Order: sequence, then C-alpha cells, then structure tokens
Amino acid sequence: MAMYDREPIRLKTDVLVVGGGLAGTNAAVGAAEAGASVVVMDKGKIERSGDIGGGVDHFLAYLNEGPAWDTREAFLGYVEKVGRGTNHISHIESLFCDELPAAIERMARIGNPLTQPDGTYYRTASMGQPGPYWINFNGKLLKPRLARAVRKLGCKVLSRVMTVDLLVDSGHVVGALGFHIHTGRFFIVEARATVVATGNTNRIFENPRGNPFNTWLCPYNTGDGQVMALRAGASLTNMEYMRLTMLPKGFAAPGFNALTGMGGRFMNSLDEYYMEKNHPLGNRAPRYACVMNSLDEMRAGRGPIFIDCRHLSDKDLDHLQATLGYDKDTLPDYLAQRGEDLRKHPVEIMVSEGMQAGPTETNGSGIKIDGNAAATAPGLFACGDAADHNRCVHGAVTGGFRAGKSAAGYAKSQNLAPSEMIRNTRERMDRFIAPLLRGSGYPFQQIEDTIRKIMSEHVGMTRTDLGLRKGLEKLERLAPHLDDMKVEDLHGLMRSHETRSILTVGKMMATAARFRTESRNKPYHYRLDYPETDDANWCGLVVVQVKNGGADSGFQCSFERIVYKSH
Amino acid sequence: MPMVFDYERCDGCGDCAAVCPGDVIYLKHDAVRKRPYNRYVDECWHCGSCRQDCPQQAIKVTFPPDMLCT
Repeated sequence: MAMYDREPIRLKTDVLVVGGGLAGTNAAVGAAEAGASVVVMDKGKIERSGDIGGGVDHFLAYLNEGPAWDTREAFLGYVEKVGRGTNHISHIESLFCDELPAAIERMARIGNPLTQPDGTYYRTASMGQPGPYWINFNGKLLKPRLARAVRKLGCKVLSRVMTVDLLVDSGHVVGALGFHIHTGRFFIVEARATVVATGNTNRIFENPRGNPFNTWLCPYNTGDGQVMALRAGASLTNMEYMRLTMLPKGFAAPGFNALTGMGGRFMNSLDEYYMEKNHPLGNRAPRYACVMNSLDEMRAGRGPIFIDCRHLSDKDLDHLQATLGYDKDTLPDYLAQRGEDLRKHPVEIMVSEGMQAGPTETNGSGIKIDGNAAATAPGLFACGDAADHNRCVHGAVTGGFRAGKSAAGYAKSQNLAPSEMIRNTRERMDRFIAPLLRGSGYPFQQIEDTIRKIMSEHVGMTRTDLGLRKGLEKLERLAPHLDDMKVEDLHGLMRSHETRSILTVGKMMATAARFRTESRNKPYHYRLDYPETDDANWCGLVVVQVKNGGADSGFQCSFERIVYKSH
Repeated sequence: MPMVFDYERCDGCGDCAAVCPGDVIYLKHDAVRKRPYNRYVDECWHCGSCRQDCPQQAIKVTFPPDMLCT
C-alpha cells in the first residue's frame, strides 16, 4: 500500500471551517444558516472532537434575571476587571453579548438546553465574578447534537483530515490543504472564506504528571491553526500568556471549577484556608490569583494542597456528585479509583501544566480578530480558543456562530479563482509527507520533550529577559531538527506536524513575553525583572507577525493600546 | 491501561475507534470479527467518548498507577 496518494482530492466551497470542535461546529451552523456551502475538516470526528467532545458542564453568561450583576453592563465590568489590558471590550460586546440570546435559543433548539430538566438555570459564581455567571448544565451530548445539526444543514464533513497549511493567493486566504490520517490522501479545499477553529496550544510545557497527553485542555490541540494563520500573514495577540489552572492531583481533568463554584475551600497541609487569608474574594478569586497563591503555598513547603468540600450541604454535595462527570466523563471514576470522597476528606489538588491560552475566561489568545471575527489576513476568520477575543464554551458557541455568519457574508463577495498556490501544491505535499519517507531520524516525542524542557525552564511561570533570550536561542537551535523527525505511520505524521506547530508557538510565546516588559495576570505573564503591572505603558495587546513576510524565521512584535471607558 | 475493552460484550462495531478524538483506538481483525484495542496507549486523554458511545457498554476505564498513586 502506498503511504500516500499523490493525486489530491479537490473540493470547492463558500466557507471552509478548519477544526470541528465546539467553535468550529457553531461556525459551520452559522455559515450554513446564512446560505453558504460549507466544508468542515477535523483531525477527529466532529461528534466527539475538541475540548468538550466528551462533555461539558458550564457556560458563562448574564441572563438579565433582575439583580444588578446580571446585566450586560455588569458583565462587561467583570470582563474588564479580570482581563484589563488583554481585550477590547467592544469586541467582546459584538462577539459574545450580541450573539448571546440567539446562542441560548440555539442550544435549546439543537437539543442541549442550558437549563435543568425543570426548566430553571443552576447558577454558581467563582473566578472573581460579581454574581453567579456560571450556568451548570448537562453537556455530555452537546457535541453529538451539534454534529447532527451540522450534517442536517448539508455541510460536508471531512473526518480524520489534518489541515497542514492555508492556501494564500495575493495575500488572500483561499482555502486549505490537508491529509487524511488513515489513507494519506491529500485534500485541497478552495474556499471563498476560511474559518480557523483549532483551539489553543497544549503539550508545550513539561507536564507535572509525566505524560504530556495528560492535559487539562485537549492534548490534540497544538496551535496548528494559529501557526498556519501566522504563515498566511495574519497577526496574533496575547501569545505571551501561559495559562495554568487547578486540577485534581494526578489527572488533568476539568470539572473542579464546580467545586469552588459551590463553595469549596482551598486548603494547605497545615489545615489553613489560604485563599481566604490572601485574597479579598477568597476561594472565588480570579483563576490566576488562585493559581498564584497555590504556587506560593507549594513553594513555601506548605503542600500538599487540597480542596475542602466537607462543609457543603448534602443537597450541594448531591448536586456535585451527580454532575462532576458532565465536564469530564471519567472524573468520577478517577476519584473513586483513587479513594477520594468529597464528603469525607479534602481532595488533593495541584497546579496544572502550563499551556498557551487566553489570560482569562472571557478572552483568548491567538489569531487577532475584529468584532466580526475577521482576522487581519483577508478571507480568514477565527473563533474559539484559536482566536484572541473568544474563549471557553460560551465564547465558542457565540463567537463561533458569528465567525461562520461573517465568513458566509464575505464569501458572497468573492470569486473562486484557482491560484498559482493551489495549482502548485505537489512540492508542498512532498514536504509534508517527508517524515514518513525519511530513512532515519528522531521520533516526534524526542523533539517535543526538548521543546517542553526549554519552555519550562525559560518561558514558564517566572520569566526574565536573559532567561527568555536563552530560551529563544535554544528553540532556534532546535528548529532545524524538526526536519530530522522520522515517523512510522500516518498517525505519527500527524503528531510530527503538531510538534512543528508547538515549536513555532513556543518561539512566539518567548518573543512576545520578552517584548512585554511588565507583569500581567501573574503567573500567566510574570517577569521577575518587571514584577509590577504597568498600565501606563502596557495596557494593551502585544501583536505578533512574521518578520519580513517570511515563515518561521522570526517574529516582529508591536503594541496595540487599549483604552477603557471606565478610566 | 486507560480504556479496557470487554471482548465478550463487544460486537466489533467500531464506534469507539471512529469517535476517539486522539485516533488512539484501532480495530484488529481476527478470523471471526473485529476487536478494538489501544494502539497509541500513552496518547489517551481519558475523555470517555468511546465509553459513552459504546452501544454494548463494553468499555471500562482503568487509570494507571502513575496517575492513581502519586
């Protein structure tokens, strides 16, 4: 059997969606409902791919149910408070607030409402919120139901196709190139508009649990779309932020937000409730503050650390018991097999691996988008964790739909013209397949472990100019060895391309972190040589682009100031 | 051993392999039928999609000692 077929399959469409997770499927629905023909390409199968494939239990929203905190204005005040200097409020308004009522209605229409079986909302507060913005719901079948909606709308879904590059013609993004990870067949999709929805970057820092795939967010999200967009000439922002969170010890499962939302208390090994001592909002402080204080406890030798839920009412504990598996299907199994019992004793927790992701729950990092989800490269749109003003479940559902709708509108004004780039893809296909044909070389794991070591030692929780410079030097030294990777099969070929993306994201992250000579949302960007937050000079976005239009050979940073109305 | 397949219950439909977001699960063919197995066992995210979608309830999750005992 030939390892790959040199004759690609060619498709034409109005809108191509790269990545079929929560944001991508919502984008497909948005584009198709606007009348566009749609192709979705995904490394997995859209019924279960992406961060919430196995389920989800939370959606962040205000509902205008009466209280002062439950309004658009109060919500935007919260967005500014936790994410000052990392987002344009006007973008959050158009991508999230303007889309929210339709999103809530759509969730119900596809068969996965945000309400409880009795029709009410179950709401909790944590992470610095002025009121209970988290809506708890059962999203275990959200992806299968969305996938059903996507297929019903007539979208063409290419499963197990990894997108490896965007097609660019005279500066316009005109589609993408991908290969099937089981057959090796290449796909060339010409599109009038392209939406990138490939998530954030994981597997980029050393993993405290050893296995690099034991990650909080989906380990198969490796920044591929952001790197493709960068190469296509798009700008990226917020790439300096290394996101961290709190997890059950040993298993990077999401779902523990629910514990603090219900009133769980962070505790150290001296039985002290350290968040209550160290932050005015206590256990409900913003996520980065919980992480920072937990790191301080560990560094001071007061670990192990725990979440204590013993004081919660039986009713609340019953609710937790029943819903913990909504966010991570296997979390209840894990806690049971580990002998943990929320009712009987505090549950041991830890700080997660680092990841490249947005600095708050309400805005992201990656492809720079405007209020219509359009990137700076014409023809390109972005949403979900791959975009800089979209994040989390609520962002993917609202912003994803908006991106699809905007792409469909843009597509109407464009003609498909087979470009030189599209005709001349043979050489690129040969390049992408090279690790499979190489006689000898390094496994992707060896290169990736090296990236993680460099990132953790130089671009991690504490940063200095000299350390970042050394880190960048090492990443540059490693870069030529990407071409020494050898893989045994098409699955490995997919992983080796992910490794390439991870290295490029690492270089962007170090470059942007060096450029921002202040600290913001510590420890997500903590410069020991500039430990204070400097709003006078750094309230805004670090914008990253390729230098001189060249790919992977270095980046240039610029600064985009953000002015907030309230100050 | 993240996902454990009960070959007595499994009817070889392949839904688990199809939905696995990490392309971790494959089917092997013997003389009689197809059976799923973890081809890239270290790459499992423990998302539970395969277990949820298994029409025969033939999949269990067993966490490895490096996760349970540290």
